[in-house]
Amino acid sequence: MTIELPRSGPAILVVDDEPRILSALQRSLRREGYQLFTSESVQEALVLLSSRSFDLVVSDHKMPGMSGIQFLEEVARLQPDVPRLLITGWTEEIPMEELRRVGACALITKPWDDARLKATLRRALGMEPVETPTEWSSAGSSSSSQESRLR
Amino acid sequence: MEQRSIGLRQDLLRNDDSIIQNLNTAVLVVDLDGRIMSTNPPAEQILGESPAQLLGEPVARWLASSGEALVRSTLERGERFRAVESFLTLGDGARLPIGISWAPLMDADGQRYGAVATFQDLTGIKQLQNQVLQTEKLASIGQLAAGVAHEVNNPMGFIHANLFQMAEYVSDLRRVWEGVEALRKAAAQVDSEELRSVGAQLTALAEEADVDFVLSDLGKAIRESQEGSERIRHIVQDLRDFSHQDSGQRGMADVNQCVDSTASIVWPMMKHLVVLEKEYGEIPLVPGYAMQLKQVFMNLLVNAYQAIEERVGDTAETGTVRLTTRSDETGVFVTVEDTGTGIPEDRVSRIFDPFFTTKSVGNGTGLGLSTCYSIVQRHGGRIDVESTVGEGSTFQLWLPLEGSGDDD
Repeated sequence: MTIELPRSGPAILVVDDEPRILSALQRSLRREGYQLFTSESVQEALVLLSSRSFDLVVSDHKMPGMSGIQFLEEVARLQPDVPRLLITGWTEEIPMEELRRVGACALITKPWDDARLKATLRRALGMEPVETPTEWSSAGSSSSSQESRLR
Repeated sequence: MEQRSIGLRQDLLRNDDSIIQNLNTAVLVVDLDGRIMSTNPPAEQILGESPAQLLGEPVARWLASSGEALVRSTLERGERFRAVESFLTLGDGARLPIGISWAPLMDADGQRYGAVATFQDLTGIKQLQNQVLQTEKLASIGQLAAGVAHEVNNPMGFIHANLFQMAEYVSDLRRVWEGVEALRKAAAQVDSEELRSVGAQLTALAEEADVDFVLSDLGKAIRESQEGSERIRHIVQDLRDFSHQDSGQRGMADVNQCVDSTASIVWPMMKHLVVLEKEYGEIPLVPGYAMQLKQVFMNLLVNAYQAIEERVGDTAETGTVRLTTRSDETGVFVTVEDTGTGIPEDRVSRIFDPFFTTKSVGNGTGLGLSTCYSIVQRHGGRIDVESTVGEGSTFQLWLPLEGSGDDD
């Protein structure tokens, strides 16, 4: 696990079993002023979640041992108020009702668009108003087929 | 009573022809020379000839060579055949797929005096079968696309993000370089005051851009992206190997290659839950359609994965899929063994039936195994299953070295 500076600002936990995705996210968010906690394993992330509070949790979907949906369900149990986002390489595999059930507020699709990713995180953190209640969801590519509207 | 029964039988014999004429099934009767002695309207309709054009003609005129061999065995040795698939050659040269049965005709002394055939036009059934095959092929392509898209999107995800960030790094470095240029100009003018001020600006620029970090991370971002693009290159290579030999033609198939390239394609989809064990023997090539065999292996592998997925559910357990190939003097054996849920005993006998599925709605067409069955049958082979609920299933395929499948 790597813990990125700065040591102030909203704390975000990102879980993905692909370390390259984590380091790409660290790059993208370097100047956004977040405390970025990253973990390659769900188990490690759960330990971390029981030891401190976060302002946002972002998780990959397909991971060994536990799916992103199952992990976010656990997160909801440990820290019910924390906003939750799911990242996926294949939107069709995740039913929308599942996402709603675990209270995920948006779906980020790989590969993501940098500006949309940053905006999605800001919105999830309540740092930026939601333009229209149905529009704030996907940080993925702009193709409408990959859009997922959750609210 | 006895007398009455004999009388009835004689009536029946007299009416033989009228029974045949009124059957809704095509019937042909031939003598020992294979000449047509009797036909009925359904037979005349399928053959497209009038009774006058058929009677006395050698039946071989309308039979494909494989069909001719059947009637010869019946006439010469009294063999019976049930619902054998063959072809008729019609007057206009068209080939019509039929299912035909032959039985010898005996006189009262038990002497063969001819043979009777019943047959049906299989055109509609064949079209339906092709549609089913096509539907199942589309379903496999859907599964394949999902797996490949997922596997490509991971590296694409970070390559895409890294490229964006590397572009940012380059513009940061460009601003720093502009500071270096200004410093060079100032140095050329040997104006120490100017030099100091430009030097201070450059230091500020370099700090703002975080040059040390950018330079080290730029190299890292490039290396990681290179690794990602290498991964995508591998996936494309696997796809190429998988679709290799996709001429749709019958040829000599390398079963190990078929199994392995299919496993590579399906692997990304199952790797989170499955340990894959491979044991490939040194096996000969078998006559067949490589792409169709790959479709069979894909179905079996996806089923194995789904059975494991269903079994382990939300637990952190994994399952095992074991692929084995071996051969003996008769042919090649492929086994696909899983540690999944297993199939209840009352369902095992039905799993090769079309549209029979034990999967939940949306998880299967119910055509996968019936398609496997018909593909294996087309290769003249066999597919069997052994299964124990709670332990797993083993599918075994046998493909003969001497292909006896159809040659169309």
